[in-house]
Amino acid sequence: MSVDGWFPVALSGMIAPGTSAGVVVQGIEIVVWRDTSGRAHAWEDRCPHRGMKMSFGFVRGDHIACLYHGWEYDTAGQCRKIPAHPELEVPKTICMTTYGCVETGGMIWAGLGDAGHAPVTPDAIAVRSVYVDAAQGAVLSALPGAFGATGQRGAAPLIDRVLVGVQPVGPDHTALHVTAAGGAVAASTLISLARRATVLRDSVETGVPA
Amino acid sequence: MTVPRLYNYDLDEDCYRVRLIAGCLGVPLTLHGIDMFPGREHLTPEMLALNPQGRLPVLQDGDLVLVQPAAIVLHLAETGARDHALLPADAVTRARMMDWIAFAVRDLGVAAQARLCSMLGAPGDLRALQAAARRALRIMDDHLTLRGIAGEGYVAGPAPTLADLFLFPAFALSRDYGIDHDEFPALRLWARRVRTIPGFRVMPGIPDYH
Repeated sequence: MSVDGWFPVALSGMIAPGTSAGVVVQGIEIVVWRDTSGRAHAWEDRCPHRGMKMSFGFVRGDHIACLYHGWEYDTAGQCRKIPAHPELEVPKTICMTTYGCVETGGMIWAGLGDAGHAPVTPDAIAVRSVYVDAAQGAVLSALPGAFGATGQRGAAPLIDRVLVGVQPVGPDHTALHVTAAGGAVAASTLISLARRATVLRDSVETGVPA
Repeated sequence: MTVPRLYNYDLDEDCYRVRLIAGCLGVPLTLHGIDMFPGREHLTPEMLALNPQGRLPVLQDGDLVLVQPAAIVLHLAETGARDHALLPADAVTRARMMDWIAFAVRDLGVAAQARLCSMLGAPGDLRALQAAARRALRIMDDHLTLRGIAGEGYVAGPAPTLADLFLFPAFALSRDYGIDHDEFPALRLWARRVRTIPGFRVMPGIPDYH
């Protein structure tokens, strides 16, 4: 099965410079990491050497190193160092599978397969990511009500524009990356929005309307 | 003043808790190695006389014998590092610290059971233990998300306390019992901060990035 397109995989602030994290899009395991200059990268989460998850490893400057045997890769995905063979000039054939990676609207996006044009979204302030044990469809149908967009039940909207990145993790798992667009928002409002995201997660999982 | 003796097994999560916190407090310990696996030395008559529960750690400080990790670390702080910032003097912050230490023991305690079940074949329903541990980690992630929006980076406030160190091992070791860090972005950032507390140390299963 081929997966094509751009998918939001994290809020920008959750991947600090010099760190990495594992994310999953429709079952595809991806390591998202940020080099110390601040640029984000999205790669297949698998070291070509022994298949270890690169997201278990660590970032050193503009390289990411595998936890298992310390093989280091540069920002282009090319292996640059094999600690067990320090004198070896590493063959060009040892490289990572890399994906497209852009940041827009306070989120990191990974471009998979025939991804097409990279997204451009308005500037926004991070609220929180939530990880829901439910299919994307169930999460999407609960989303408007959770943030007061339907006017039918629940509380009124707290701000004019909530932008939510939807990450389909797998058939029964969906991540939401919630942001507030349209300028400055008070911390107390961000906290209320974060609580609504938490309530959304819990109500979708339990099947009990919030 | 005599140096307290810790009956210690390097791979035991609670023994690591005590070593970690003693190290950050700057309190010296005499380590007395006990071979739990495969030696089962924690079940010898001499050790059962110290702790009838047949568990580690055991702390012996003169005539005082303590077997509960929370009591051990508080004793070390109050006798060896009374004015240390990790033991806040402010009553509200101290109460929050105690609340989270109790959470670590009561609610997150399943994580240690899950780890023993997964790694050493200890009895238990691994899936149920994993699910309970995941619920507890979610509660921590939800809490630290809200604290983060309010500009505070630790469970009891803007500065680290014993509670952060007490909670840390269960998250850092979660891959040992089959729970990845993907779904806990606030915990990932928090764990990175905990690693910067002076005196921090690791145990097998928790990589040292430096």
